[in-house]
Amino acid sequence: MALLEEPIKKALELKNYVNGEWVKSASSQMISIVNPATQQTIARVPMSTEQEVDDAIAAAKEAFPDWRRTPPLARARHLLRLIDLLEENFEQLSRIQTMEHGKTIDESRGETRRGIEMVETAAGIPSLMMGYNLEDIASGIDEYVVYQPLGVFCHIAPFNFPFMVPLWFSPFALATGNTFVVKPSPRDPISQFKLAELMDEAGIPPGVYNVINGGNEVSQRLLEHPDIKGVTFVGSTPVGRDVIYRKCGETGKRVIAQCGAKNFMVVMPDCDLQKTIAALMTSFFGNTGQRCLSGANLLIVGKDDAFCKKFLDAFVNAAANIKIGYGLDDSVQMGPMQSPDGVTRALGYIEKGIKEGAELLLDGRKPRIIGGCPAECFVGPTVFAGVKPEMTICREEIFGPVASVLRARDLDEAIAICNGSAFGNGDAIFTSSGKSAREFQYRVESGNVGINIGITAPMAFFPFGGMKDSFFGVLHGQGRDAVRFFTESKVVIQRWF
Amino acid sequence: MALNTAAAAISFARKLEEDAARFYEAVAEKYNSEEATYLTFAKENQKHIAQVERTYYGVISDALEGCFSFAMDTEEYAFSSELADRTEYALALETAIDIESKTARFYTQAARQSKALMADVPRVFDLTAKKHNKRIERLEELRPT
Repeated sequence: MALLEEPIKKALELKNYVNGEWVKSASSQMISIVNPATQQTIARVPMSTEQEVDDAIAAAKEAFPDWRRTPPLARARHLLRLIDLLEENFEQLSRIQTMEHGKTIDESRGETRRGIEMVETAAGIPSLMMGYNLEDIASGIDEYVVYQPLGVFCHIAPFNFPFMVPLWFSPFALATGNTFVVKPSPRDPISQFKLAELMDEAGIPPGVYNVINGGNEVSQRLLEHPDIKGVTFVGSTPVGRDVIYRKCGETGKRVIAQCGAKNFMVVMPDCDLQKTIAALMTSFFGNTGQRCLSGANLLIVGKDDAFCKKFLDAFVNAAANIKIGYGLDDSVQMGPMQSPDGVTRALGYIEKGIKEGAELLLDGRKPRIIGGCPAECFVGPTVFAGVKPEMTICREEIFGPVASVLRARDLDEAIAICNGSAFGNGDAIFTSSGKSAREFQYRVESGNVGINIGITAPMAFFPFGGMKDSFFGVLHGQGRDAVRFFTESKVVIQRWF
Repeated sequence: MALNTAAAAISFARKLEEDAARFYEAVAEKYNSEEATYLTFAKENQKHIAQVERTYYGVISDALEGCFSFAMDTEEYAFSSELADRTEYALALETAIDIESKTARFYTQAARQSKALMADVPRVFDLTAKKHNKRIERLEELRPT
């Protein structure tokens, strides 16, 4: 198939978007954004200064009083205009994600679609944000609750879904009347740059939505700034738990910290083999394994060795035949990893798996890449069998296309193994038995549960779950949880003399 | 050529429909009989593209099995849409039937493979297959007796 046209023709110089203006950073520190498939530089992004972060927060704070007084329906209209613009730019946005991140074009289009769905859901804010009331709580006295915005919120974004993840939060923050500062991942900030252009075109008032580029220093400043009311974060557990959650506790900020994972895909002997394999390919190797809902551990249930062998053969065979290359070739099924760091990390875990005695059934260390792409960022699908729950490759998040295969005698043991994990993000079961499915969803300690679904990603109108070391906070992102997170409930009790 | 991804399947569907549309426009221009029928076919081909693409872009999600729902080979559905200067009408009709058969087969197979994996996409594939199969019936009726 043909290579789709690249939307970025020459390296972009990214700016910050503050108070409705494009502002060139005063920082001399710039990072090059490299297309992981071609190794070409496609942008340069500044590491903004502390003063620039303060300026963005000040702009957001100043914009807040007017924005919160804007009627919810009028705020929703801004989002409706944004939706039109996102649809018009759908393909360009998707191709940018492939260029900056490496994912396939199907995956990028899927990410764009999900991002738009967040805006669509948030646009229903007049209904979502309604309070409730009760007459005569005592004779002649009425009581009601209203939900009010709090002020400036921020988002510290991950690299794995550069377009969609910030949209898990920002549309809900804006719709509820808050103002927002986004810090995109410095690895792939281009689609956020493009999104800010569309926010601007949609007529979002100056200061309501701001983008500040940078690294850890920018995150630190956002975390400690007294005018930030709440922080949303998606990233690793050590950062989410030990930095974001802790700091927000110290400074009294609200927090949603969606963190790491090590998801189990439990396969029962009565599963539909063909459909399960397709679902598992997406789960383990989609987005090159770089997502918190990726399958990581494949847990085959039952004592039937013949079934186990048949299933494993089919799984390895399908994984071995995955076409790897540049995601803008629409026949490619798996792209590169986003950075050489990710490759180093994945290769390190493969070495560890071998050292700890797991059996390497499929070795992705020297993958066959189609289209003549440089090999720097590529790791092929890798499958280990004979993995034990105590092994490092079963316990720790690899964030790459590496599958660890375990066995369990029965469903009870399978659930016990799942629940032994420190994480609780997205476990799934594949079965044709309602009883097994019900038992699994009831007992498994996981915030998002799949039944014959390999990627347990909740839709925009449901909360994005997460338990144990996968989530820190109380309310989750998306849906009604997000509306509650971005608002304070105020109770009014009234009596008229 | 192997066809494994939803993006490639959608691109290939577009190619089939566009090639067929061009063929029917040429047939309508070259032969006087049934000009309106062939021009309608060509217009419908464009509509099929819009329907299939709208469905795909409307449901594609990172959680769907977009990259792993298909195992097809484009060679099985390739057809010649060339209309040589001296092609007789009967031969053009045979070509049209071949185009429709292969296109219908493509959509049917794509629907079967992606069923339960690609949300509404298999349904639009099935509907489009039905439309192409219907055309075969119409083309058979046009065969000279």
